[in-house]
Amino acid sequence: MSTLAKTLIVSFSFLMIVVSFLIGWWAKRKVTSSEAYFGSTGMFGPFTVGLSSTAAVASAFALVGVPGLLYSTGNGMTFWMLSSAAFAMAYMILGKKVRAMAEIGKVASLGDLSDLRYNNNKVIKITMSLTLFIGCIAYLAAQIKAGSELFGHLLGWDPLLAGFVIFGVLAVYMAISGEVGGLLTQAFQGLVMVVAGIVIVVVFFNITGGFGEVLKAVSQAGEVTANGITKEFSPDILNAWGSMPRVVSMTWMLIPILGTVGQPQVITRMYALKDPRDMPKMGLYTAISHTMVGLLTIVVSNGALYLVATGKIAPLENGDRAIYAFADYAGIVAQLFVYAGVLAAAMSSASLFLSICSTVVSRDIPDALGFKVEPEKQVRISRISMLVLGVISIVFSVTQGEMVGILGTFGWGTLMSATFPVFVLGLLWNKANEKGVMWGSIVGLILNIISFAGFKWPGALPWYFNVVSISIAVTVVVSLLTKEQVLNKKLEAVIDL
Amino acid sequence: MDLTGKKTAIIVLTTILWLVITFLGWNDVYLVSMYLGVLLMLLYMVLGVAKQGKVSKKLFFFCLVPWAIVWIISFYLADYYAAIFAGIVPSFTVLGLHPSFGATVVGYWIGGMLTLTAMFMVFKDEWLSKKDWDNFVNKIKEIDETEKGGAH
Repeated sequence: MSTLAKTLIVSFSFLMIVVSFLIGWWAKRKVTSSEAYFGSTGMFGPFTVGLSSTAAVASAFALVGVPGLLYSTGNGMTFWMLSSAAFAMAYMILGKKVRAMAEIGKVASLGDLSDLRYNNNKVIKITMSLTLFIGCIAYLAAQIKAGSELFGHLLGWDPLLAGFVIFGVLAVYMAISGEVGGLLTQAFQGLVMVVAGIVIVVVFFNITGGFGEVLKAVSQAGEVTANGITKEFSPDILNAWGSMPRVVSMTWMLIPILGTVGQPQVITRMYALKDPRDMPKMGLYTAISHTMVGLLTIVVSNGALYLVATGKIAPLENGDRAIYAFADYAGIVAQLFVYAGVLAAAMSSASLFLSICSTVVSRDIPDALGFKVEPEKQVRISRISMLVLGVISIVFSVTQGEMVGILGTFGWGTLMSATFPVFVLGLLWNKANEKGVMWGSIVGLILNIISFAGFKWPGALPWYFNVVSISIAVTVVVSLLTKEQVLNKKLEAVIDL
Repeated sequence: MDLTGKKTAIIVLTTILWLVITFLGWNDVYLVSMYLGVLLMLLYMVLGVAKQGKVSKKLFFFCLVPWAIVWIISFYLADYYAAIFAGIVPSFTVLGLHPSFGATVVGYWIGGMLTLTAMFMVFKDEWLSKKDWDNFVNKIKEIDETEKGGAH
């Protein structure tokens, strides 16, 4: 890559960081209460919240790891990336009920929702918070690692320095303006990703001539070898399933679609919406923006396959290079948007997960343990914890690469196992009682830890599928076998809404 | 469609579906699992859209049912065309895509958005009308006032 190209990419990306910081700084004037700081509760319209949701869901893994998997193993994972209808499904299932909870009590975090639904049950709140913390810290570490290494490599800097420059700025604006700044910067970063998607799709059609040409090239290429690396081609890698076991594709359909309703970055956005009747509109905005991100991952992986199959570039040493290999071949415009898009994806997800981790550590767990703190003091404590967690995460992510890799197996499924019994069952079914949800949450947490320790589940299903399934079953069975919880009238009104 | 008294049965059914899908997944039975997954999602959505225990027929028949049909067909075609054209160049394409993947793009992705996302917009009042929300907010206020009165 030429020096001019590097300079332009870095300038463009740093401009995005500066704009994000300015938005975060500006947003502090909107932080007028602890509910605003921790949850942006009832503050924003569907366009802003929708873009923010897409940005928070689409992580650096979506933009780098998914095209890598598509390049290496074919189309199986497109079931995950083409799950744009999942937002409407999530809002239909839980949207009005979560938003309604903010009308019956103070809601600024998932812990508050749990308190309202389960009579301040400490065990439920702590187990859910711990599982959320594990899932969120894993995601956070993965975002920081991806962003720091990419820009460290690009600038010739130590990744730790790059990490502090990018994510240190992020930690500062998150500490200043909390979820308000987080949500607004995520909306901006979501917009960057959408624009990047549009640009890259146009570039893809210009270079390849369309998907038909890619299919033709991939079908005819056979084996391509260069620099000692061989890439085998077959038309089958471009069918719906690719070369992974098809049961994995099944998981990559069911977990992201149904799991969207259990993701903290989606649930927290349900109560951030000002008017609950705007949720269908928000479903449309998230679907459109998610479509552009999904399309981006497909065209860069197809583009990389086409370039290798036609001999225009050598086979990739590592699938994760697919997006960069395509952008580098396409030229400076594609490079500008790809690098900025990856950075936007890493920053938007990182800010959301940093905020949730900080809220869990500084607010939800102390509250469940009986430490009552005034709202103003809670905000002060959270600001400090946001900065401390930010610094620890940056150092940990960059220096403990292997551990981050292991933690990376946590994520979507772990978060789903934390929230599904508590919120989905709890807000759809009035017989989901404290004991049931408590045991479901405890079993979920234990199984997550056992899986983390290396327990092998039967078959080819990803382990989190088993954990989600068992924790749901435990919740329902224990709820049915134990005494029904008497709900207050407000909760009944929410569940009936 | 009235769900009153049926919610527990539906939740039990969804739980059984989770376990069956997991068991089938262990045994690599992917296609049936995907069909059952659609049923699982449909049941959760039915529970979610219900107002005072009642499901809007418009939402059910013009949004949820078409969505379920489109997805089941797309999974079937994705599998069918993958088998028909296994190891060979397909004799036709869908938008330039392998027919198996074309079924996913057209049915699962675009079809999913047209049936769920777009129809959710069209029938948004069937999900939550202004009257529903205002009634809910007023009800909460009434409960608050009653509780305050009781406290005095």
